[in-house]
Amino acid sequence: MTQLEPIIHIVDDDNSYRTALARLMEASGYRVVTYGSGEELLANLSGSDPGCILLDLQMPGLSGLELQDRLTEKAPLLPIVFLTGRGDIKASVRAMKAGAEDFLEKPASREALLGAVERALLRSEIRRAEHDRVHTLQARLDALTPREFDVFGLIVRGKLNKQIAYELGTSERTVKAHRHNVMEKLGVHSLAEAVSIAERLGLLDLTAKPSDDAHGAVRRASP
Amino acid sequence: MARASTKPSSPFTRIASAFRCLLLLLIIVMAEPLSAEIVDQVPRILILYPYDEKIPATTIAGETLRHRLQQATMGKVDLFSEFLDLSRFPEKVHIDRMARYLSEKYADRRPDVVIALGEEATGFIVKYRHAIAPDAKIVFCCFSSADAVKLSLPSDVVGAFSEYDIAKTLLMARGLQPEARDLVIIGGSSDFDRSWLATARSDLPGPASGLKTTYVEDLTIDEFADRASRVPEGSIILVLTVFTDRSGRNFIPRNALERIAAKASAPVYGPYSTYIGHGAVGGNTVTFESVGTAVAELALDAIAGKPIASVNVPKTFVADARELTRWGLPESGLPAGTVLSFKEKSLWEEYWAAIIGIVAALALQGAIITVLLVERQRRLAAEQEARLRLLELVHLNQSATAGALSASIAHELNQPLGAIRSNVDALEILLRKEQPDLDLIRQILIDIREDDQRASDIIVRLRGLLKKRSEIDWQEFDLNEVVNSAIHILHAEAGQKSIVVSSSDPTRALPVRADKVHLQQVILNLATNAMDAMVDAATTERKLVFRTALIENSEVELSISDTGRGIPSDQLDHVFHAFYTTKPTGTGLGLSIARAIIETYGGKIWADNRAEGGAVFRFVLPLAQHG
Repeated sequence: MTQLEPIIHIVDDDNSYRTALARLMEASGYRVVTYGSGEELLANLSGSDPGCILLDLQMPGLSGLELQDRLTEKAPLLPIVFLTGRGDIKASVRAMKAGAEDFLEKPASREALLGAVERALLRSEIRRAEHDRVHTLQARLDALTPREFDVFGLIVRGKLNKQIAYELGTSERTVKAHRHNVMEKLGVHSLAEAVSIAERLGLLDLTAKPSDDAHGAVRRASP
Repeated sequence: MARASTKPSSPFTRIASAFRCLLLLLIIVMAEPLSAEIVDQVPRILILYPYDEKIPATTIAGETLRHRLQQATMGKVDLFSEFLDLSRFPEKVHIDRMARYLSEKYADRRPDVVIALGEEATGFIVKYRHAIAPDAKIVFCCFSSADAVKLSLPSDVVGAFSEYDIAKTLLMARGLQPEARDLVIIGGSSDFDRSWLATARSDLPGPASGLKTTYVEDLTIDEFADRASRVPEGSIILVLTVFTDRSGRNFIPRNALERIAAKASAPVYGPYSTYIGHGAVGGNTVTFESVGTAVAELALDAIAGKPIASVNVPKTFVADARELTRWGLPESGLPAGTVLSFKEKSLWEEYWAAIIGIVAALALQGAIITVLLVERQRRLAAEQEARLRLLELVHLNQSATAGALSASIAHELNQPLGAIRSNVDALEILLRKEQPDLDLIRQILIDIREDDQRASDIIVRLRGLLKKRSEIDWQEFDLNEVVNSAIHILHAEAGQKSIVVSSSDPTRALPVRADKVHLQQVILNLATNAMDAMVDAATTERKLVFRTALIENSEVELSISDTGRGIPSDQLDHVFHAFYTTKPTGTGLGLSIARAIIETYGGKIWADNRAEGGAVFRFVLPLAQHG
């Protein structure tokens, strides 16, 4: 989807291992940036390029898992492949739960490393595409007036115009007009398409109360 | 004293001076036991010596006598000695003067007993007893009953007779020299000497005994000696006494005999025990010791008021073993019961008491030494055992530390191994290219070699951590070096726990003498404790600091401080006790082992809390005085 070459970010406090890994990745044709610590990565990471992060689990200062937490916010599109010197089941489970792409044990074979990197890059692209899509949809959603947004929240929950008018304390006619505008602004032609957008943007939390939560979720999701 | 008591003064002063008087009196009484009253209770005994103090016969008799009297009365006797010097001053005027002098001298202290040594002294006191000691009992000694008859002694004067039997002396000589053909008899020119010669003439058997008898008299001392040197071989020389020679020179008889015997060409005999040791082979005699003892007994009886009568002092044969040897005379030729002097006794005979003492002392000493050695052996064994136990404990502790650190050490090992792997993989890809970047390849190879070295270093360190000691491997090394190696071992573990480890830059080498592995163990114990103490601290606040320092140029110190929770101040002293632990999985032995190790090397270890939070553990060790 994007034309930019992906960048492999390597974070490891061990200079020698970092260098060796960088050489392997470069020899395999990737762009590589190396960092001696998590702090260095956070300070220098520029978020726009696609890529992935090869992250050492045990480092002095900011540990791999702590860095992962920070990166969820700062670089959600960069999948993380953990590298560890020891088989630490607890840490690996935690890392995977937090969305790590892979968890490799040092010394990892070339196949394992390159395989994990390829998968991560693929995931990166998918995430990026998904992110772009959501971004577009979000932009469209943001174009709705508050009233239209309310109407949208009720439509995707399968409410009829009459029910919506009743809930919003307005006439069925007005609801119809809002509905038309919503479909127009979102660029959809059917209810199914609208529901799909709502679902993708995480507006269909069935456990939450429709009106307030729907609204809140949207506000949270807005950039 | 009088002045003190007449001084008018206050009642208090009077009492004080009365007291002082009493004290003074007491001191006088104590200091002078010879005060009038007491002297009355102690018998006075006057001993009269006929000649001067240099005559051995009377001196020996007198000393024996004095000794016996002192001993029998437990010192409660007052002894006086007077030397009449009648040999050198035989004139009547001297005798009278002496009598007057003694009479006046003893006017206030009349003797209770007078002991006269020899016939001259006896004659003197008998004659002047009324002037000198009117009430005294007179006891004599040192002459024969025949001589006593000549003195016509009063019946109350009794003594110990010395019956010299010159015939018995000759008997001894003939026993030793049965082959002798000549007998030479020597005597001096004094009255006493002449009386001896007369006695000899009457008592000794004539030529009928088979001996050609020659009397040598009226010669000077040198002539006597010369004559003695020219007697036929195998003769018997009998020296009686020489108090005075023809020239009028006075002698102590034994000195005269000594001069004669020195030149004599045949064995010399004499009737006095004092001759023994001065050249005489021997003789039959009354020893002056036995005379002294006999007369002392008489005097003691006299003091006690017992009736006393004259006794004969027993005679003995005496001989000089050295003279027997000199003349080649057989000891077997001596009469039975001869007192043999100067015999070279066997070591045992002479020193048996000393030998027994020394042997006993040596045996005792040996026993003590053995006991001490056994004790020492046992102590050494116990020490060895204790050291072994400590070493075993240290090793267990090392193994535990190695176990605890093994995961992080494995991780650390995986770093170079991983780097090598990736470098090789990269190399493989690079070599497949048409124009491989040779510089890069060279660099990769260098890195691979370095990483290989790194892995090998880690293994060496781990092996050091697991090394078992059966004895202490003493080495001198820089403390900083061990600190660095410990930091290397801890590095991975610290990294995993997000602990920043730092150490002071060593300003100079800090040599200590110890077992490197043991010190490393102490440092690892302290450091792992410190790291465990920081689990609750924020990850950015976890700092482990090693600091070495030289203290007063005689000790080196290492401090290990952390930013953990610190130690409750009431526990600071307990942390080094065995089984003290705050960790659920701790054995509580780590710090006690650390202390045992540090104390083994003459150091001290203690814990403190830091003002800014966290604990600091320190130990000091003696600085090794290296050349």
